[in-house]
Amino acid sequence: MFSPELQPQPPIVIADNLCKTFAGGIKALDNFSARIDRGEVVVVIGPSGAGKSTFLRCLNGLEDIDSGSIIIDNIVLNDNPANRMAIRREVGMVFQHFNLFPHMTVLRNVSIAQQKVRKRSRKEAEHISLDMLAKVGIADKAGSYPNHLSGGQQQRVAIARALAMNPKIMLFDEATSALDPEMIGEVLAVMKDLAREGMTMICVTHEMGFAREVSDRVIFMDNGKLIEEGPTVQFFSQPAQARTWAFLEQII
Amino acid sequence: MKIYLTKQDHTYYNDNGRILNTLYQSAMQNQAESATATRPRQTGRMLRRSLLQSPFADIIQFLALLSLSAWFLKGAVRDSGYHWQWYQIPKYILLLDEQGFHAGPLLLGLLVTLQISAASLVLASVIGLATALMQLSSSLVARATAKVYIESIRNTPLLIQLFFIYFVLGPVLGIGRFPSAILALSLFEGAYAAEIIRAGIISIQRGQWEACYSLGMTAFDSYLTVILPQALRRILPPLTGQAISLIKDSALVSTIAIYDLTMQAQAIIAETFLTFEIWFTVALMYLGVTLTLSLMVRQMEHRFRIY
Repeated sequence: MFSPELQPQPPIVIADNLCKTFAGGIKALDNFSARIDRGEVVVVIGPSGAGKSTFLRCLNGLEDIDSGSIIIDNIVLNDNPANRMAIRREVGMVFQHFNLFPHMTVLRNVSIAQQKVRKRSRKEAEHISLDMLAKVGIADKAGSYPNHLSGGQQQRVAIARALAMNPKIMLFDEATSALDPEMIGEVLAVMKDLAREGMTMICVTHEMGFAREVSDRVIFMDNGKLIEEGPTVQFFSQPAQARTWAFLEQII
Repeated sequence: MKIYLTKQDHTYYNDNGRILNTLYQSAMQNQAESATATRPRQTGRMLRRSLLQSPFADIIQFLALLSLSAWFLKGAVRDSGYHWQWYQIPKYILLLDEQGFHAGPLLLGLLVTLQISAASLVLASVIGLATALMQLSSSLVARATAKVYIESIRNTPLLIQLFFIYFVLGPVLGIGRFPSAILALSLFEGAYAAEIIRAGIISIQRGQWEACYSLGMTAFDSYLTVILPQALRRILPPLTGQAISLIKDSALVSTIAIYDLTMQAQAIIAETFLTFEIWFTVALMYLGVTLTLSLMVRQMEHRFRIY
């Protein structure tokens, strides 16, 4: 008899042969496949327009794929709205421009989806929200409106909002790209904590320091295709592809 | 173009006599501050400027405009040869007899106008919101229905819609004057409200939708908690304008013999020939209602301004 821990678990994200063409004929994803294991931190890098964000947005159904298949935590992402909703409940997302709800206080921002989606009582939701806000270090701002916070604080609220839904996977879509340099550190620190806790994370980022320090694996994309992927140390020290070399040389 | 320089006051003129001295003047002012000789002129200019910008200047301008209007109106009244009988008016608003005060016909009419307007306002909002959501839905039938409704209502006169509903649909649906009037007004203003609401909804950034969806919220919950509250804040000013239009348009229901403010006015004028006194009074009453509405909405906007 095998003990359950020793049984190999299937990847939590199985994305096979994804194709996505935008109106105007731009191929954002071109036969792109990726698998992500539970607890893995994967960083997706590549030049702008490579399809990194599109890949993330397809994973939780913000964009529809033209062909291919996505299975997340044994749920198939297809035309069935129930499946789509089920996947969205398990997948948290943090956006480049935060996308907080400007007409709600920070506390309400973090609580509202818990009440509507997880069907928690307001009291319970706010309790969890305060825990999450404390975790990202801004519990004292619970009563403020998002527009009164700095970019870094807003992004940490957005992370707390996603975490409060107890997701199994977190997607970070250029979470620090819209921030002033002095605020990038505080957001990256929260993301590092999260990685250490064993959260499954897929991060589109330009922060190579973060990628080296935190990620287990790096995926390099260009023109919607997978160019190269590998364990982080190996990827940065000895990339196999000439295009990866060229890209790394440009940004480091 | 020739430029003339007069040394005394450091002013350039072009050949039309226009002063070209703004840049030069500011440079000279800096210089003048150190030169004590020019100080009296400097303080004089500053005094003049501060007088022009003070509230006194505004009050004087306002009074001047008011007295000019009064003078003009007085002349018009005198020259028209109309025999004014303002003293007749109060009894049409409020009656006093042995039993105390009673509402006069104008006040009763205002009450009817308010009832019809309030009912239509509620119904028009519902119709407007529903139509806006239909326009934005993915269903082709819903979009087409909304489009046909909006275009047919906005491109035909309200008066004819009112007649159509009262004389043609009324008997079929078995509805009387009041419901017909409310239905006609609601359908008419609802079409305009729909376009305003739709514009408000699509003005909300896509990121707000994406945040809702990424959290697993349904489209219904997203509309209710995130999109519509933000849209409402943006569309409140144009929507208020539409509500004011509705109140004014409600005067048309007098054509199907509903005794609203306008109908009462017509009835009194037919009896008394107090044409101008009554119409001016009625206009003031409409103005009172719409101004109250505007002020109430202004208060609401202030409440929204917290974020």
